[in-house]
Amino acid sequence: MTATPIIIDCDPGIDDAIALLAAFVSPELDIVALTPVSGNQPIERTVRNTLQICELGGRTDVPVYAGCHRPILREPIRGQFHGKSGLGNTNLPEPSKRAEDKGAVEFLVDRLGEAARKDKPITLCCLGPMTNIAMALRIDPTVATGVARIVMMGGAYREPGNRTMTAEFNMLADPHAAHIVFSSDIPIVALALDATHQVILTPDHVRQFEAVSGRIARTVADLMAFWDRNQVERYGSRGGPLHDPLVIAWLLAPHLFETKPARIFIEHESELCMGQTVADWYNKSGQAPNAQIVTRVDASGVIALFLQLFSRYQAERAA
Amino acid sequence: MSRIPVILDTDPGVDDAAAILLALASPEFHVLGISVVAGNVGLEASVANASKLVALAQRRDVPVMAGAALPLVGTQIFGKYLQVGTFDDDLVAPTDAEPGEQSAIRFIAEQARAAGAQGRTITICAMGPLTNVALALRLHPDVARGIERIVMMGGAFTALGHRTPFAEYNILADPHAAQIVWQSGVPLVLMSLDVTFQALFTEADFAGLEAKGSPAGKALAGLLRRFDRSDVKRFGRPGGPIHDAMTVAWLLQPELFSGNDCAVGVTLYGPTAGQTWADIHNKTVQSPNAHVVNHVDEAAYRRLVVERIAGLGAAVPQRHSELRELHA
Repeated sequence: MTATPIIIDCDPGIDDAIALLAAFVSPELDIVALTPVSGNQPIERTVRNTLQICELGGRTDVPVYAGCHRPILREPIRGQFHGKSGLGNTNLPEPSKRAEDKGAVEFLVDRLGEAARKDKPITLCCLGPMTNIAMALRIDPTVATGVARIVMMGGAYREPGNRTMTAEFNMLADPHAAHIVFSSDIPIVALALDATHQVILTPDHVRQFEAVSGRIARTVADLMAFWDRNQVERYGSRGGPLHDPLVIAWLLAPHLFETKPARIFIEHESELCMGQTVADWYNKSGQAPNAQIVTRVDASGVIALFLQLFSRYQAERAA
Repeated sequence: MSRIPVILDTDPGVDDAAAILLALASPEFHVLGISVVAGNVGLEASVANASKLVALAQRRDVPVMAGAALPLVGTQIFGKYLQVGTFDDDLVAPTDAEPGEQSAIRFIAEQARAAGAQGRTITICAMGPLTNVALALRLHPDVARGIERIVMMGGAFTALGHRTPFAEYNILADPHAAQIVWQSGVPLVLMSLDVTFQALFTEADFAGLEAKGSPAGKALAGLLRRFDRSDVKRFGRPGGPIHDAMTVAWLLQPELFSGNDCAVGVTLYGPTAGQTWADIHNKTVQSPNAHVVNHVDEAAYRRLVVERIAGLGAAVPQRHSELRELHA
């Protein structure tokens, strides 16, 4: 089997970190690059966090390209549940790995352009605001043909928003970027709060991850424990939703997910509903679907998958 | 003489052609490159036209680069003179000059960053939708630092719109890009319809462009005649504006112009999308982010445009060799 080439666009972020650590030990995935963006934290910090996670996961071979320093139009907003550094209470060593000289947008234009020319498209995993890929699409629209699909975490359909009444954080952080991406005709798999709120990482799960994760067990447990929202009335139990890691889970085990096709629109004009994701479930728009929206997730299957992945760190093994 | 390093960001376009030729005819400039954006016409035609113009001006040393094919966020709107398309070969000779491989947007960003890193700056003349400039500013926080100012044609403050009741074309075509550029902190000089409507070119000017037998002058006169820009009902007298050339003229002879420093902004959506406002009477608490030009010495501006372009490549040996030396 040939590994699926992917680029992970991210803004670590605790759940981004868990997603990266899972991807690092998945030989099914060929990680071409990581492209951190301004999002949960300012760009300097998301880059630093990405480099630290690469070192933690033993994947210093993966190049990191620093992305956009701010959203396209709106003023930046930051994540609220990731702690001061963006990685909870962890205290990872200062990274010796460095980001590449080239910027992430330039890298995406060049690398996706090459993928388009060679007809070897790359899957893009979007875990943060979609500024980097939106910029790349506007600089050179032909990069779209270099993208096999975008698997993204963001949005909220039948579920309310998590940052405003109607908006999920990644979409609110750069709604114009999201609009550009969702207008690009690139096939999209959308993991919105509708999906991620079905997979709550409980304190009990955290103990299981700590038990299996070998040399990174301490950090993984710290990250996951920090993620506990302690909001039982909202999530049905203690714990926090496993947002970004679901992108990796979908790539590895799509059978754990049910999807429905729909056209997705991004509100980028109204202040009240800014960043709202609107799904055309019943073809009212007359436009063809641009996404598969994940509607159901086999939560225990996903947890079991991640436990299996994290247990690979016992062997000190890098994929 | 130290020349002004300038990038011409453009969507040619007939009045862009006048601006480009004026810049290429002026030894005061070091034209670093021509960054092309979709606007008046589609990107491909704009690039072809820019290439034709550098060839016409015998300045194939100036790189022409393709930029954004689409506006940032909104739906694409072309110019009123979309039918111009690629300039007709009988007016502007065909050329085998090819555009550069590099992206115009990355070129702007790299030139500005390189200048900033060396304590220099570059100037941008923006004559089309601001998509290229906005994308360049978003590529890296250092880009703004390397830009001395952006002299741009766009907007309508006391004048009403010419494309919708309230909107001038360059802003309407990409209001989001305008917002990014206007809020970037880079010093701005705005040539809105308020001032571009004050200078109308008539047949006497077209004849002046041709007077010295310059191929550039003849081509521009031909374009202006074929795509008549006059509107007696609106302007109250014969003649048509050449909007974009004012950006270049301001850099050459700022004393021909006057205006105010004020806060400016743009409406992004709704029926007045693309409308621009300028706080001429200090009604907001926002500090000025632009120099809004509101008056031009019409006769002197027309003379500058006509004489410079009429002399471009015309058989005046002394002047010509002087220019060549400067351009070498």
